[in-house]
Amino acid sequence: MIQRLTARYYSLLILLSLLVLFVLFVLHVAVGSVAISPATVIAALFNQPVEPFQHIIIWDLRLPRALIALLVGAMFGLAGAILQVIMRNPLAEPEMTGATSGAVLFAVLWLALAPAQTAQPGPVLPFVALIGGLVGGALVYLLSWQGQHDPVLLVLTGVLISAVLRSAISIILLLRQEVIGTVLLWLIGSLNGLVWTQLDVLWPWALIALSLGLTCASLANVLQLGEENATSLGLNVPLTRLGLFFVAALLTASAVAIVGGITFLGLLAPHLARRAVGADARRLFPFSMLVGAGILLAADTLTQAISQPVSIPVGAALALLGVPFFLYLVWRRKP
Amino acid sequence: MMTPSLWQRRRGQLLLCAMGSIVFLIAVGLLALLPGTPNLSLPALWSIVNGGGTPLARLVVIQLRLPRLVLSMLAGAMLALSGGLLQGSLRNPLAGPELLGVSAGATMVVAAITIFHLPVLLIAIPWLALVGGLLGSSVVILTMRRMGDSVRLILTGAAMTALLNACVIIFMSLGTQNDLNILFLFLVGSLANRTWVHVQLVLPWALVAMPLALLCARPLNILQLGDDVARGLGLPVVRVRLLILVLSTALVAAVVAVCGPISFIALLAPHLARRLLKTSDARVILPYVTLLGAALLTAADLFAREAFAPQELPVGIWTTLVGGPFLLFLLRRRFGKSRGAP
Repeated sequence: MIQRLTARYYSLLILLSLLVLFVLFVLHVAVGSVAISPATVIAALFNQPVEPFQHIIIWDLRLPRALIALLVGAMFGLAGAILQVIMRNPLAEPEMTGATSGAVLFAVLWLALAPAQTAQPGPVLPFVALIGGLVGGALVYLLSWQGQHDPVLLVLTGVLISAVLRSAISIILLLRQEVIGTVLLWLIGSLNGLVWTQLDVLWPWALIALSLGLTCASLANVLQLGEENATSLGLNVPLTRLGLFFVAALLTASAVAIVGGITFLGLLAPHLARRAVGADARRLFPFSMLVGAGILLAADTLTQAISQPVSIPVGAALALLGVPFFLYLVWRRKP
Repeated sequence: MMTPSLWQRRRGQLLLCAMGSIVFLIAVGLLALLPGTPNLSLPALWSIVNGGGTPLARLVVIQLRLPRLVLSMLAGAMLALSGGLLQGSLRNPLAGPELLGVSAGATMVVAAITIFHLPVLLIAIPWLALVGGLLGSSVVILTMRRMGDSVRLILTGAAMTALLNACVIIFMSLGTQNDLNILFLFLVGSLANRTWVHVQLVLPWALVAMPLALLCARPLNILQLGDDVARGLGLPVVRVRLLILVLSTALVAAVVAVCGPISFIALLAPHLARRLLKTSDARVILPYVTLLGAALLTAADLFAREAFAPQELPVGIWTTLVGGPFLLFLLRRRFGKSRGAP
């Protein structure tokens, strides 16, 4: 059901969430092994004079991480929102495109075959992972094609192909057990140790994919009317689905290529966004981006604050958000 | 319901299928005992059975190969039976322990025990795995609105599995490198290096749960008619479904505790059985699926041992690599026909 919201309510909501996002961003930069006061952070961000070591910490270490969290969160949020429209189900998540496991598989292959580049190997690895993600997405899409697309079949194919790709990952890990430690972070998704190098790889893709996704919003709206209605309105349904699926896979693949397979974010963000702004894609898509970015920033701030000596990957903390989400689903079953 | 006339009409065909599977199982079982170091011939095996043979060959066959064979048969049978129960009672072709979060729940518990070196008796592990498995599956089933809703089932199941896997990875990131390697080998599901100790651990569960599961055939048949009809026939639907769920989780939990999560045997075997026998009568399907599961897993394990010998890739990888696409192939047509179902 498309809720009727006044334009004023919506713009107020957007403004408010932008404000919250800014606060979260500043907090994210402020929290860490060396605590910096938010006032100092804001001063440093606007290039006011601060102490040199704080300037270095903020600009060289924390700012890129916060920016990556912002972009990646927005990408997962948008990818989830798009997929939930295509699959006509509020429980779809980006992992079902096959892009996540494809990206991780290629990354693991790269790590195993090119042993010289261990740990965080420059700008090449994200590209390899991106290609893998797109291959995974294409595989799922082609295998679920049957003249036209059945959402059930798309979901089933996504889950099964992901399982198969994951077991291919396992083969590589078994043959080269020494990379397990590195790959573990990839499997769950982590923002640890990300600097400007990774951001430089991420932002062009993020810009392209996010704007592509946002321009598709009105098409997605027509698709939401149901297949027959959309067709009678002159929409090429299979082609639109393909396009949207491609955008979602691109978003997922480029995000996973940098931070690894973060689960639940792409499921949670659109869900919460839909509660707030309804199902109209022109409002849902941007708002879902904001919510995704906010959740990731908040989760990363929190994990950094509570796990100071050993840094727990942020993907783990996000997964734990899944627990209340499930309880909510169970509880909602009897309306 | 299988009327006597149907049984008489199809008896030859059903018996043929059963005989074929038994012969296949025996052949695979014999094959599993022969190759390796030392390579044995059939007569050599026969002499070992009769108490002869070299001490080394006796040791290898009786202490290493035989327990592994017994375990693969038991595990295959239990997994397949659990898949048959779940698919029947939820009336859903995608209900399998892998997709419902049963395997993932049980795995999480075992992973926690391994990483944190919890002081748990070996014999208690299946019980704890049972609790984990029930946790996973009950959440997924409670979120269902209708029994036949495949999309919702698979989506909540996948999300629940992702959540539980994330917990496993959290545990892994806390463990030492050595524990990590052990756990990783367990996580893919393997039958390597299992001995009579492991068989003893699974056997009581198999002996109790498998006959009980086979007794469920009649209520399963009634459940297939739909909840309303079943209720009308006097079946306490919710209670029966709960019982079947616990039973199938118990079957899976025991296997996971010993072998790790071996995927797609439970999902695949019932589909194959229904295709081969061309019936969905649980009284025929359940026994047959047990046989089929044992044969499938034994064959898969033989392949895992011998395909890249001396290097061995765990059987769980092969069942996923082969079973996943095969299941997709089997289900494509079915979902293509029932369009607009969700």
